[in-house]
Amino acid sequence: MIIRVKFTKKNYLKYISHLDLMRLFQRAFRRGHIPIKYSGGFNPQPKFSIANPLALGIESIEEYMDIDLYKKISTKDFIEIMNKELPDGIRILEAKYTEDKRSISSLISWSYYEIKFTAKKLNNKDEFQDLIGEWLKEDKIIIKKIRRKGNKITERDQDVKSFIGNIVIKDFSSKEDTNTGSVVRIDCLLKAGDKGNLKPTDFLDAMEKYLDVGIDFDTVEIKRLELFAEEKGRILSPM
Amino acid sequence: MIDIDKFNKVLKRVEKPARYIGMEKNSVKKDLNKVKVKFAFAFPDIYEVGMSHLGLHILYNLLNQEEDIACERAFAPWVDMEQEMINENIPLFTLENREPVKNFDFIGFTLQYEMSYTNIINMLHLGDIPILSRDRKEDNPFVIAGGPCGYNPEPIADIIDFFVIGEGEEVILEILEKYKEYKEIKASRLDFLKEVSRIEGIYVPAFYQVFYNEDNTIDRMEPLIEGVPRTIKKRIIKDLNKVYYPEKLILPYVETIHDRIPLEIFRGCTRGCRFCQAGMIYRPVREKSVDRLLELADRLEKNTGYEDISLTSLSSCDYSELQLLISKLMDRYEEKRVGVSLPSLRLDSFSIGVLKEIQKVRKTGLTFAPEAGSQRLRDVINKGVTEEDLITAMTYAFHEGWSTVKLYFMIGLPTEEERDLLGIRDLGYKVKDLFFSLPREKRKGNLKITLSASCFVPKPFTPFQWVGQNAIDEFYEKIDLIKNNIKDRKITFNYHDPKLSYLEAVLARGDRRLCKALIKAWEKGCKFDGWSEMFHYSKWMEAFDEIGIDGDFYALRERSVEETLPWDFIEPGVTKEYLIKEYEKAKGEELTRDCRLGCTNCGINKSFTGGVCK
Repeated sequence: MIIRVKFTKKNYLKYISHLDLMRLFQRAFRRGHIPIKYSGGFNPQPKFSIANPLALGIESIEEYMDIDLYKKISTKDFIEIMNKELPDGIRILEAKYTEDKRSISSLISWSYYEIKFTAKKLNNKDEFQDLIGEWLKEDKIIIKKIRRKGNKITERDQDVKSFIGNIVIKDFSSKEDTNTGSVVRIDCLLKAGDKGNLKPTDFLDAMEKYLDVGIDFDTVEIKRLELFAEEKGRILSPM
Repeated sequence: MIDIDKFNKVLKRVEKPARYIGMEKNSVKKDLNKVKVKFAFAFPDIYEVGMSHLGLHILYNLLNQEEDIACERAFAPWVDMEQEMINENIPLFTLENREPVKNFDFIGFTLQYEMSYTNIINMLHLGDIPILSRDRKEDNPFVIAGGPCGYNPEPIADIIDFFVIGEGEEVILEILEKYKEYKEIKASRLDFLKEVSRIEGIYVPAFYQVFYNEDNTIDRMEPLIEGVPRTIKKRIIKDLNKVYYPEKLILPYVETIHDRIPLEIFRGCTRGCRFCQAGMIYRPVREKSVDRLLELADRLEKNTGYEDISLTSLSSCDYSELQLLISKLMDRYEEKRVGVSLPSLRLDSFSIGVLKEIQKVRKTGLTFAPEAGSQRLRDVINKGVTEEDLITAMTYAFHEGWSTVKLYFMIGLPTEEERDLLGIRDLGYKVKDLFFSLPREKRKGNLKITLSASCFVPKPFTPFQWVGQNAIDEFYEKIDLIKNNIKDRKITFNYHDPKLSYLEAVLARGDRRLCKALIKAWEKGCKFDGWSEMFHYSKWMEAFDEIGIDGDFYALRERSVEETLPWDFIEPGVTKEYLIKEYEKAKGEELTRDCRLGCTNCGINKSFTGGVCK
């Protein structure tokens, strides 16, 4: 049976990779005696999968995974046991048994991010709003996709216009006194999952390329706020 | 604490930032203002390497068990991080409290490998601590060191305030106890050094002067201060069942080299391979009991959630109750899917039986170390395995479905000839024929044989400590000979860099005159020398030239047994007479039995008690 879990990956834990996180969970399951199923074969692996892996350096307050159990335990116990075993940055927020035959990975279609940065050439919120508006009116928004296959590196253009759901300016404070630009926070909804995926870093690169607002990439902080499924054109929680 | 904004900024820019964040499960973060002694355990390599080192886990937990001691970890930052730290003016810091190492009372380096010495210098420099012992002031930490390379401490004698020779579990607490007293009465740095020099196993290099002969060999070593011992006797733990062993292990976020539970089953080795330093310096053999090991395994498994237990020692198949231990571990853990592995297998039938048992749970890679290509040369080095052993082991392995095997050899061993080298190739071909002699339906997978050759480095306190190493060109000739004689796609031959092995030999058997050259090499940018992409032989040679060091004098020269060796003042328990006797027997291709079968008079039982030599 599948238990579907919502969890966080915050603070310094944003610096551990997806594989590191898998190992961390595997050992926490073991310490907590979670009755997880194992795959067969020479090298049996615990059966759980994390949806839409985060890139290194990105925080999240809403991640999902499916865990395959061979014995039912109460979700309350599950959360309690796991949170005792997990580091502070990783907290299980919610858990529920699901009859859903579709995997959590296949469900996720959109990801909602908060992006903070300093833009050296920006001093006015309305101006920024207009620039974004113009950008989204473009027919195409092209990013370069780099693929590595062994030693072969191929580059191709991809139009990601339809992968951008919305962009909202949440915070804007210009450093007028020093004239060094503004500290900006935007929230944006980007396509995620098997049917198209736009990484927030690629999004930001594309935005800077078109808007030329002088983003200081050293100041960029990205946090994932939510993950969504999409059904009949409607966006909803995967839980 | 270091500047956290700067720290956060650099983390974004470096590869594998999780190396630097700390906060792992089972790590210990104390309030540094509330402890009496702050000890920084410094590992002179990157996080992933250091965290795989058992000694770190033992000492870390041992010290942190004491309420008034805080032990924190510092690793060598990888070059990208180092550059960022320099740019942002972040000094070398510990992972737990992100505290600059210069604010600690002790910085303890572990000496696992000669080629990490430049990293020690680099870490001190990054930590704003004077590199030379004599330049350190009252408020600087004590820079101390221990570990196998400490058996010849001389090449870094000017850098380290004092060395701990031998096993550290007991003596480290004695040192820190003394330190507390010293701190209370506010005694001077010098007074403390004098005080610790009286503790058995402690060597304070500044208290001795070395005199040289005209031919550059050592005449003698004289104490400069009254009351310091003329010889330094190593420390050992008498009873391994009673010695501290951690029940928790720090769980790294990033994957380390050995990402599993290390269960140390015994110390020492009775085999007596003549090239092996560990086999001599860790004597006598002392085992942990099966009960104690099961108890430890249980707690470690519960506290870590690791899925593998590795039975570690110098020669794990020699554990006297191995069968019992393994079957008990299997009983307990098979259902929980915890695998048991043996890092070093011998090529005998007994080992194969053990292997069979282990394979019930998880298939691990198969590697064997015949060490030399001919029986004659294996006898010279006293490696007690025969070709028949190898054939039996391989036959079994192929029957059981393995198809990838690795065989380890050394080249440049004393008395080696062309036919010994070609013997390496021959063994490879024999193993290949064995595979294809199986009926087709019995063969599984694609055969891949790797023959791996390292260049022999003579080490202190071995019967070969007087032997001259092969010159770099000789090594290349030998490598070419083997390489050009292997024409089979199923067999891969690889080898270690002879230039690196040459430097290892210089440093392994060097004296204190090398300190200056080490520092010079570091000034020229040498660090992480053990990492092939970071190793710059030419810089080392420049450094030797400028300081006036002849590397060949240390690496290539055959020394006479009468010569005073730089490490002669250390007493490892095994006597020089024994080493000389073994050296002679090697030349005569004469074997020495495993001393479990009867004492071979190495001397350890005269100077120490404990273990099988009781």
